[in-house]
Amino acid sequence: MLLNIMSEKPLRKKLFATVIVLLSSISPSLSQLHAAESVAFAKEESGELDLSATKALFDTHSACFIDARSEYVYYKSHIKGAISLSDSRFDEQFPDFRQKKSIETLLVVYCAEASCGKARSVAKKLIKNGYRNVKVFSGGLIEWAHAGFPMEG
Amino acid sequence: MTRIGFSSVLITALRLMLGAFFIMSGYEKLLDLKFFSLVIAEYQILPSFLIPGIALLVSLCELLCGTMLLINLFSRFSASVILCLMVIFIASMINNVMRGLGHDCGCFEFLSRWYGLKEEIGIVPIARDILFFILLLPIALFGSNRIPWKKDQK
Repeated sequence: MLLNIMSEKPLRKKLFATVIVLLSSISPSLSQLHAAESVAFAKEESGELDLSATKALFDTHSACFIDARSEYVYYKSHIKGAISLSDSRFDEQFPDFRQKKSIETLLVVYCAEASCGKARSVAKKLIKNGYRNVKVFSGGLIEWAHAGFPMEG
Repeated sequence: MTRIGFSSVLITALRLMLGAFFIMSGYEKLLDLKFFSLVIAEYQILPSFLIPGIALLVSLCELLCGTMLLINLFSRFSASVILCLMVIFIASMINNVMRGLGHDCGCFEFLSRWYGLKEEIGIVPIARDILFFILLLPIALFGSNRIPWKKDQK
């Protein structure tokens, strides 16, 4: 009995290894797809949008775009139709913004690029002030401009 | 030679150089006064209602004083006015750096356009304004306040 089990173990190991090799030969493309999907899903869950999702909202006019950079940078260039609500002067600009936009409005906040934290900071402040539908376009203006999407300023 | 041994050539050279520099700076600010107002707002020192007026005042001061330095009209007075502006600019930048604020300094935008110099507040623009302060001092102390087209009455 003991001998029988001992001889079965290497066979099981071999079978298991074969299955792993077969799966890994077809999985790289699948795993990349899964990874991309899961990252996009995780971003959306946390209120972050990628370029294509942001563009879709822009095209359907279903969101209000908020520029979280300083006003003088917004003045030079921004996403077409975006409103300035800078992180640095949020308290001064917010009362006017509050009168114009209801708390139900879907807001997409962006700053210069993924590494700048101003968009997330403004998004947090907006949520704190009662806005429920707040998303962050993490790619920011650089990614938007690089894609050749509409800008003004 | 001027009174305390400062060469009039040196004073003239400084006057022409700084005059041209501040004419460009003031002219550029006047061309886009809204941008300059927004940069001043970013300093978070002045109340909002004062900002457009201050932006206009600073731009006009730079343009007029620069012109007066260039043509040697009340150059001593003009240099003193720009010296005061420099003190305000330096103090404002130091204040913002100490508060951890980061933004454009709004000083000489044409330098960033022409030479790609970064215009964010920090040690470089502060040092540059201190240098301008030092260069303006000889004109303010030893320059003339005469009107160039008026003959000296003896």
